[in-house]
Amino acid sequence: MFANGGGLAALVLPVHILVQGVLGPLGIVPVVDQHYDTWVNVLGNPIVKLYLLVLIAFPFFHFAHRLRYLLVDFGVSAAKSLPVQVVFYGGAVVVTLVAIWVLATTVPIKLG
Amino acid sequence: MAEKRVATKEKRIIIKATRFDPDKDEKPRLQSYDIPFADDSMVVLDALNHIKSYVDGSLSYRWSCRMGICGSCGMMVNGTPKLTCNAFLRDYWPRPIVVEPLTNFPIIRDLVIDMDDFMHKLKSVQPWIIRKQELPLGAGEHRQLPAQIAEFQQFSQCINCMLCYAACPVYGLDDTFLGPAAIALARRYNLDSRDQGLKQRLPVIAQPEGMWECSFVGECSVVCPKGVDPAKAIQQSKLDTTLRFTLPYGNRD
Amino acid sequence: MPAGWWLRKRHYFLYVVREFTALPMAVWLLWLLYEIKSASAGPAGYQPPKSLGFVVFSVVCLAFSVYHSYTFLKLAGVIMHLKVLDRPVPSRVIVLTMFGLWAVASLVIGGALIWFAK
Repeated sequence: MFANGGGLAALVLPVHILVQGVLGPLGIVPVVDQHYDTWVNVLGNPIVKLYLLVLIAFPFFHFAHRLRYLLVDFGVSAAKSLPVQVVFYGGAVVVTLVAIWVLATTVPIKLG
Repeated sequence: MAEKRVATKEKRIIIKATRFDPDKDEKPRLQSYDIPFADDSMVVLDALNHIKSYVDGSLSYRWSCRMGICGSCGMMVNGTPKLTCNAFLRDYWPRPIVVEPLTNFPIIRDLVIDMDDFMHKLKSVQPWIIRKQELPLGAGEHRQLPAQIAEFQQFSQCINCMLCYAACPVYGLDDTFLGPAAIALARRYNLDSRDQGLKQRLPVIAQPEGMWECSFVGECSVVCPKGVDPAKAIQQSKLDTTLRFTLPYGNRD
Repeated sequence: MPAGWWLRKRHYFLYVVREFTALPMAVWLLWLLYEIKSASAGPAGYQPPKSLGFVVFSVVCLAFSVYHSYTFLKLAGVIMHLKVLDRPVPSRVIVLTMFGLWAVASLVIGGALIWFAK
């Protein structure tokens, strides 16, 4: 599960950052989140909601795992303990729940 | 017939070796030796042997085959774990060469380290063919196709030299980690078609201090003198074990 | 073991960078979540991302994200031990396939992000 989140982020995240984070704001290409109506339109689609949920929540478990082990690499052996695991993986769970809530409530589901 | 002798300046090189006598010294120190570099094929082990034979007989270190197959002469050469029989002086000359005992292991004396931890871990993965039942004598020998041998052959090249343990930062930070060679050898036997011991090895490699502690730094494979690629063995073990638990995997018992 | 062990060798340093990429990626994704939420601000309140500061932030995250992708997909070739018709697939093929998938996914998603802006 951890690895798959990393794989998803590897395949898909760079293009999101490039297009939505750089090209869109600089006006080089038209991007869906640069205008209210196009953004809302896309966010109403249930498939888009599902995609965004997976894109945001899934990699967080991978990130939590990696960053926790990075702490171990820096000599913080407490990072192996159960409470720290709860903080990190619990954090990923929290992000998942928040993402579900945001995607469910921000724009109502529009079919068709 | 008179020989024409051309005066050549003798090439020399400086070896700085760790010295530590637990009865006398508080902590290890480096001692410098200036020795002749007579032959371009000289390796660090040759230099150590020269020092011991002609300069300072008290220098202690392990070695045996001097040809990269016994795994005895592993030491840190300028901060990198190497087999000293495989470290050519010409690659370092004219700069001095620092030779230290293998990192992450306790020092017994000079360049000799305590390898008990490694031996214990190696034994714990049961690196031998485990059978539920031996073949009856009449059945003859085990047979393997070349493809079956190819499955595990790379991981069987391990000479137990422990360079990978010296290179691994995870082991350096936590010496309860099972370590690259032990896990690679566990995999070597798990993949061997003659072996039926996967279930016995699994608890050892799947424990928290086993393969899961590896974070794929990969330095073990970089320093391995025999191309075993223990990092690959460990990651493959992780994948296989995960699949084993999540899919109805055809268990090879 | 010295705390700065990962500064001693280039390979160790690159390893730490590789692991660290999780942080900027996480932060950028949290921004994306925030951006989805801000669609509820209504047409008047919605501020599309335009600032130079944001672009700089994205460029930095992009660099880390690309490094993550490159190292992850390359190592996936090492890890995966596939067999097709009883013959092991060379890791080169697996790695190339991964990078191919990366390219295809990027084109498809990038195309969608631009296409639906009309």
